[in-house]
Formats: sequence, C-alpha cells, structure tokens
Amino acid sequence: MDLDAEHLMMRVRARDANALETLYDAHHRLVYGVAMRMLGEVSAAEDVTQGVFLKVWSSPELFRGGNFPAWIVRMTRNRCLDALRSRNAHPQTELPETLPEDTAIEDVAFANLDARAVRSALQALPAEQREPIELGFFGGITHEEIARKSNVPLGTIKTRIRMGLKKLRTALEGAVSA
Amino acid sequence: MTDTHDELLDDVALYALGTLAAADAQRVRDHLQTCDTCRAEYEALVPVVAALGTSQEASADASSGSVVASPLIKARIMREVRKKKHVSSNGHRRHLVWPAYAVAAACFALATASVLYNIALNDRLHQAEIRLAHQSVVNERDDSMLSDLANVKAQRVSVPGGEVVRSNGHLYLAMHDMPAAPDGKVYQAWTLPKGAKKMVPSATFVPDNRGVALVPVSNDAVNTVAVAVSIEPPGGSKQPTSAPVFVAHLE
Ligand SMILES: [Zn+2]
Repeated sequence: MDLDAEHLMMRVRARDANALETLYDAHHRLVYGVAMRMLGEVSAAEDVTQGVFLKVWSSPELFRGGNFPAWIVRMTRNRCLDALRSRNAHPQTELPETLPEDTAIEDVAFANLDARAVRSALQALPAEQREPIELGFFGGITHEEIARKSNVPLGTIKTRIRMGLKKLRTALEGAVSA
Repeated sequence: MTDTHDELLDDVALYALGTLAAADAQRVRDHLQTCDTCRAEYEALVPVVAALGTSQEASADASSGSVVASPLIKARIMREVRKKKHVSSNGHRRHLVWPAYAVAAACFALATASVLYNIALNDRLHQAEIRLAHQSVVNERDDSMLSDLANVKAQRVSVPGGEVVRSNGHLYLAMHDMPAAPDGKVYQAWTLPKGAKKMVPSATFVPDNRGVALVPVSNDAVNTVAVAVSIEPPGGSKQPTSAPVFVAHLE
C-alpha cells in the first residue's frame, strides 16, 4: 500500500491544498517526464502537467486507492493522447483509446522503483520486444500502426509486446527484491 | 470473433499497454468481465505498464542533463488551487465568504439548547455575511455539506466547542466555539478507521474569529470509529505531534 499517497489523497478530498502540494512535489517529475517523452515539447508537457494536477484537485474521487503512480501515469498518458489527437494531421490514423481513470490499480509492487531501475530492466529486453512496447506506450499509436511502421506481421507484434511485458514484469520483480 | 484464447491474451496485453483502438478495447473489456485467466493476466501487466512511465521520470537536478520541470508549473497550479478554494479578504489569512442563508442552515444544525447561544446565533443571522476562516471548505461542496449538516437523521457527538456530525456517509466537524489555534499553528483533524491502529491525517483548519469552523473530515464515515483534533504546524503532520485537543468515539 502506498499509504503516504492514500493519506494525502484523503486530505485532498478534504480540500487541503497543502496535501496537493506535497503530492506535486513527490510525483510531478514522473508526470512531466512522461509528458515530455510523449509530446516532445516543453510548453505542451507543462500544460499536461498542470492539467493532471488540477484534475487530481478537482476530481480526487477518481483515485480509488492502490497504486498512485500508476494512476497518475495513466491520467498523464490519457491527456497526452488527447493532445496528440488534437494535433493529429492525419485524422484517418486512429489513435489508441484512453484508459479508465476511475478504476483502482491494486498492485503496488513497482510503485517505488526509481527511473534507473526501470530503465535497466527495459534495456535487458531484446530490442524487438522493447521497441514496440515503448512505441506503443509513449508514441501514442496503435499496435496496427506499429506493425505497419516496422514491417512486421500484426500477430508477431502482438506476441512480442505480450512476451516483452511478461519478461519486464519478471525483471522488475528482480529489481524490487534486489 | 474467432480468436483462440492465446490471441485474446495477446489482446489483453495490448489493452494493458493502451494500444488498442476503441472498438477492440471495448471487446477486451467485455471479455475481462467474464474470464478469470485474462483478468489475472491484465492485473499482472498493468503495474508493469505503469512502471514504463517511471522510466521517463524527470530528474530533480539540471546538472544530470535530462529534462527538468520548471518550478513555474507548480506556482501556476497552486495559485489556481488556492484561488478556487478561497475568497481572499486580507491577503494573509484567507477567508471563505458564506451568504447568511447558508450560515443559517449550518448553524441550525448545531443543535444546542443554550439560550445564550441562540441569542448569539440570531445576532449572527442579521449580518450580511459571515466569514469562515478554515481551509477545508470549497464552494461547490457547500450545498451537499449543508444538507448533510442539517439532516435530522445525522448522528451528533458533542466535543468541546462543537460536535462531530456523521451524515449520509460523510463525517464533519461542526465547531461553533473553538479557541484560536496558537500562533503559527493550525488545528488538524484525524480519523481512526475501523481496525486501524494509527490515526489517519485529515484536513487542517483554523476557526474564524467567532470560533466557527465547518470541516469535512472523511467521506467514509461508516468505517470511521473515532475523530480527533490536535494542534500541528501549518500544512499538517503525518502523525500527531501533540496531545489531542479532543477525541470523539463514534459507535
Ligand atoms: Zn480470457
């Protein structure tokens, strides 16, 4: 349990601005980093960061407990997808659907891992698995698009993504217990 | 759909990663409702996907060469948050202005037999507005809070200077005669969830100059067995740092 975040969110629900400030201090680097990777532009990433934390303030009930970083990353990615959608010059390219923000992500196993640990777990994956995973998550494109771009059959891409995620889970479990 | 189950599991991974288009995502969501195998796979992969985000966490210091968030973002957010929350009256202590009818409704709920108090109350209702100086009330919540407080079925537990009100699943502190917090300190509410050994921090607040404060302390009243208030530094504490001003047991 990420007790700190749960306590702070309870205080946010009780309209305690200082609790929001503490959450910002602890998690804004995650939000901003994801937004920068996805949007590649400072002012757009700043807008998303601001939008995410104002949403935490205005709709704290969306957080149903559990993995706070996972929840806030999901909110961030969804807002980045919206931003990509609105700048999409080729509307015939379908962007992936945003994921629900009001469901608890119970598993907090990796909530406290730092960036370096996750990066080294990612680096340990074969490139043919790592690349479609990163492209799918940060690139804001569907796996069909990934298959097309990389000239790999759709079924193969799907299986590589799944195998890569499973392998990544094992690597992250190793990082947690290390 | 003629997927074999293995193909469905592939789609579950894509759903967890968030690369499915809307129609496919809906199909997977429906399937997750009915299939334990896929649900377990999904739940195993979601935190892995969340950790992907962590790989991009921006650095805390610029010397590392990676992206650093501008401190102006925080300033903008907190200005927005504090602006929405309060109507500032003197720039230093922030006040929320309530119309008289709202105060009437709230004070009505403070059932007290004291004649003196009622005289004071009537006196107050003649004023055009009453400022509440605690930090925990926000305009859009006023209506539901007032109806909770005025609810005749609400459970009320007396505490020094006011009462704890449990109503419609919410828990409030309704204080009408609370001394000012010591200089440089605030009051902080705490709740004790059922089965818990430690108090959980709730809102910080300061009463107005009449000693009035209405503070929402929890949205899970059913599972809260006690409410306490202590004196804490501004911003509150994770654990109480002073003996409680009072503890109210709810049963
Ligand atoms: Zn299944």
